[in-house]
Amino acid sequence: MRRGIAATALVASLALAATACGGDSEDKAAGGPVTITWWDTSDATNEAPTYKKLIEKFEAAHKDIKVTYQNVPFAEAEQKYKTAAQAGNAPDVLRADVGWTAGLAENQYLAPLDGTPATKEIDSFNQGLVDGAKVNGKLYGVPQVTDALALLYNKEVFAKAGVQPPKTWAELSTAAKTIKQKTGVDGIYLNPDSYFALPFLYGEGGTMVDTGTKKITVNDEAGKKALQTVVDMVKSGVAVKPDFTDGYNNMQAAFKDGKVAMVVNGPWSTADDLTGKAFKNKDNLGVAPVPSGSAGKAGTPTGGHNLVVYNGADAAHKTAAQKFVAFMTSAASQEFAATETGVLPTRDDAYTVKVVADPIRASFKNVLADSTARPAVSGVSDMFTEWTKQYIEILKGNTTVEKGLDTTAEKWKTNINSLKEYSVD
Amino acid sequence: MKTATADPATAARPARAGLLTRMKRSYDRHWYAWAMVLPVVLVIGVLIAYPLGRGVYLSFTDANELNVAKQLGATEIPATYQFVGFDNYWRVLSGADGEFYPKLLWTVVWTASCVFLHYTIGLGLALLLNRKLKGRSLYRVLLILPWAVPAFVATYVWRMMYNSESGIFNAVLGQLGIGPVDWLGDTFMQKVAVIGVNVWLGVPFMMVAILGGLQAISSEQYEAAEMDGATPWQRFRHVTLPGLRPVSATVIMLGTIWTFNMFPIIYLMLGEANALHSEILVTYAYRLAFGSVRDYAGAATYGILILSMLLVFAVFYRRILDRQEAVR
Amino acid sequence: MSTVTEPRKNAPAARAAAGAPGAAGSGSGGTRPRKVRGREERSPLASAGLHGALVLASLVAVFPIAYMVFISLRGRSGWTRPTSAEGGLEISNYAYVLSETEFPRWFANSLLVAAGTTLVGVFVAASTGYAISRMRFPGHKSLMWVLLITQMFPVAVLIVALYNILGSMGLLDSYLGLILTYCSVSVPFCAWMMKGYFDTIPHEIDEAGRVDGLTPFGTFYRLILPLAKPGLAVTAFYSFLTAWGEVAFARAFLSTDSMLTLSVGLQSFIGQHKAEWGYLTASAVIITIPAGLVFLLVQRNLVAGLTAGGTKG
Repeated sequence: MRRGIAATALVASLALAATACGGDSEDKAAGGPVTITWWDTSDATNEAPTYKKLIEKFEAAHKDIKVTYQNVPFAEAEQKYKTAAQAGNAPDVLRADVGWTAGLAENQYLAPLDGTPATKEIDSFNQGLVDGAKVNGKLYGVPQVTDALALLYNKEVFAKAGVQPPKTWAELSTAAKTIKQKTGVDGIYLNPDSYFALPFLYGEGGTMVDTGTKKITVNDEAGKKALQTVVDMVKSGVAVKPDFTDGYNNMQAAFKDGKVAMVVNGPWSTADDLTGKAFKNKDNLGVAPVPSGSAGKAGTPTGGHNLVVYNGADAAHKTAAQKFVAFMTSAASQEFAATETGVLPTRDDAYTVKVVADPIRASFKNVLADSTARPAVSGVSDMFTEWTKQYIEILKGNTTVEKGLDTTAEKWKTNINSLKEYSVD
Repeated sequence: MKTATADPATAARPARAGLLTRMKRSYDRHWYAWAMVLPVVLVIGVLIAYPLGRGVYLSFTDANELNVAKQLGATEIPATYQFVGFDNYWRVLSGADGEFYPKLLWTVVWTASCVFLHYTIGLGLALLLNRKLKGRSLYRVLLILPWAVPAFVATYVWRMMYNSESGIFNAVLGQLGIGPVDWLGDTFMQKVAVIGVNVWLGVPFMMVAILGGLQAISSEQYEAAEMDGATPWQRFRHVTLPGLRPVSATVIMLGTIWTFNMFPIIYLMLGEANALHSEILVTYAYRLAFGSVRDYAGAATYGILILSMLLVFAVFYRRILDRQEAVR
Repeated sequence: MSTVTEPRKNAPAARAAAGAPGAAGSGSGGTRPRKVRGREERSPLASAGLHGALVLASLVAVFPIAYMVFISLRGRSGWTRPTSAEGGLEISNYAYVLSETEFPRWFANSLLVAAGTTLVGVFVAASTGYAISRMRFPGHKSLMWVLLITQMFPVAVLIVALYNILGSMGLLDSYLGLILTYCSVSVPFCAWMMKGYFDTIPHEIDEAGRVDGLTPFGTFYRLILPLAKPGLAVTAFYSFLTAWGEVAFARAFLSTDSMLTLSVGLQSFIGQHKAEWGYLTASAVIITIPAGLVFLLVQRNLVAGLTAGGTKG
């Protein structure tokens, strides 16, 4: 009997060994359908079902290609992809943030897409977005969705307080105070993440880096003025003191519950907003361009995602992946995704009547027209990571605006490979 | 079964025969034992020794994500990193990277306070549970319950409770008329918060271990002490504590090692940007390897340093214990 | 137990434990030598204090778990109103998690990996522990040390190299790869505990087995293992929990949706830009149940097993 236990254990482990060896080798059988894997970084609850439907359509149209769908949380997808790509295990297609594309290409993980099935219709795309996916003149990604930050507001609260969407940050402060006085609702919730500080920076005429003169500019006068505005807003109570671990989530929760009148956020968040009790009536959600700073100009960063193809895949997988990318970024697919989830298409012919009929998307389309592309250097996402650390320190009051930004600039110079040659003040 | 006994006379027998003969004899004598430990040796060798060796090697290079070898399907990109000697260690230990000493200090504070609280609370509860009282087994089940909660689940649940706007703690404080506390934001409070979670998770283990230790102390000793008219405090001090010594020695050492390397709590509780002052060495090393720039050499250096520190601690700790053993 | 010593001064641990509440709580007896209160006698006041302390501690231990259950029953966004019960309780989160997500699959994966780790881990740890406890073979001492040192590895740092090894063996994204990795974490400690437990089993039993003509393996399986059940239970418990709750390795090694374990799968509910606390708590409750069950099964043995292992480090 005792022997039996040991034997069972052994058999069990062997059985596991036999069943466990799945992985990427099973689709190598010649002649059979090619199975490609797609890592999607979109929201698993709100967006993923739409993309799964698109995959079904794709598979129906391409009998020889099967797509394995994998949703990977956005926050960790870049690191996970790097680990996998280095060992030759990366998925054939990745939905990569526009800020990741250059860094992944620099590591030679991505296959150039010029002249492949993926880019047949590239001329219909927004050229600014296409340029953003290029590294050294080669195209490494096809824009799938685009976004920009806007001022989202609760129309009902605005009406109660008798205020209009503010045009400048100064106006916003006044409006917030009126709202608090008349309705008891907090003014604005600002996500303590440096990406969400970009409208303030652009509003003062500032930039993160100047690629022309090879200079880090985040800590210049405009940069300091921008963050000082944020600090003042939090100090005066115009902006809610944010939560530093769950800032984004608390912002969404407060906005959805009608506890805060305004947030700065992108189109991806509107589907989530509409699930909240404050927006049971869809029309209550207002979208306005972000306010402008003292430079008199408003600026918002262009975001979004590209579909990229893994360089380590064999020819058959690459071709299949390229076809899949072409399908997912086609006008019809983009229109479908836009109407289902509220994301914004990357090509003009996808802004059909159906897409712009929705007031939220129509407003965002206008916001997008004025958006600013991020600096064309690799490692932009790493720059945001370093900057956010200091941004939070500043907001907590652990350091001054000036010191925090100087530290950010230093960290960028020492830690970001593409900025090693840049000068810092 | 010759192997089963630990007879010092046979063990110390001088071996005069040739190497081969000795190996043969040794094999004959010990193959049972070796067969039984072989799986462990294999697992440790492949899954720990090799990565460790590679870690040591990487710590002497300037490897990062751009210059390591890559296997991209059919094409293989060879590694281009270089040997840099002790540069990494020098940069870290001289304090030039500006991260090591502050993080080491906090890691030590974190470990010491967690282990101290684990031990004292565990001991206190074990003493209470070791008495005859109604509902003892119910108390015991309830008190051990946190142990059954996986660390990542516990971390998430506490993170939800600590939330500055929607957390239960601030909601209760608000109803009591006390202002909200920024549990996970404030640099000091976030340290208290993560220690709190680790204590909640770790006390049951200590309690159970100490309870076992208490039950192993023979009641004759207590009776003898009572006969001598010892007060409860004297009994605790002179019977209970010495009797617990072997258990305490082990659990304190294990607790120290585990807490020093406790990964999920700090990693999952605070975001990367928010944990600037609350990152312990292990989570920092992980971020070096998997964070923004993927500094494999730096992560390896930190890993080796962590291991060395724990080794030194273990050796000294055991030596102190042995010395006390000898005095006894 | 042989290690118990007579009362003596300067017990080193006393300093560390001087502030122990239990010590203070039991000190209410008189100081006059005549009327010293015995161990099992208590004044009603002390009794109340004792129960008070235990109730308080139990509350602290149980509250987060109870709160987790409460929030899981409050719908998708009930967590934003932590102290309110308006709207009553509902099971919609459970329904969603069980039917709309891959949760059942993740659960099965976790169960499989944890069970595999437990089976392999207990078996390997027991045989190793026995060998170290009973046999003096070359490498015996160093193996003891290696087992201890393995505990010190900052696992997070080994991940990159491990990833490459498992990759070259084709074991990434597989159950076996994960089971092996978890065994490398749990086996050293388990072997250590088992060694301590075997030390408490009299050597005469081995002798008896030898007299009956059993091989060392036979002695181990037929005589010693049945006696070591409490130790095995603790080892199983530890292995199971290690595998059930591990985050870092699983996160790095798994990628296919259908292969994920719970600790990775749950990340899709909570993230930097996502806070589905309703779904998370519902999953957390379901996750905690098997761990709690395993726990209830072995808890009788926990104290005995753990101590034996602990005392003889």
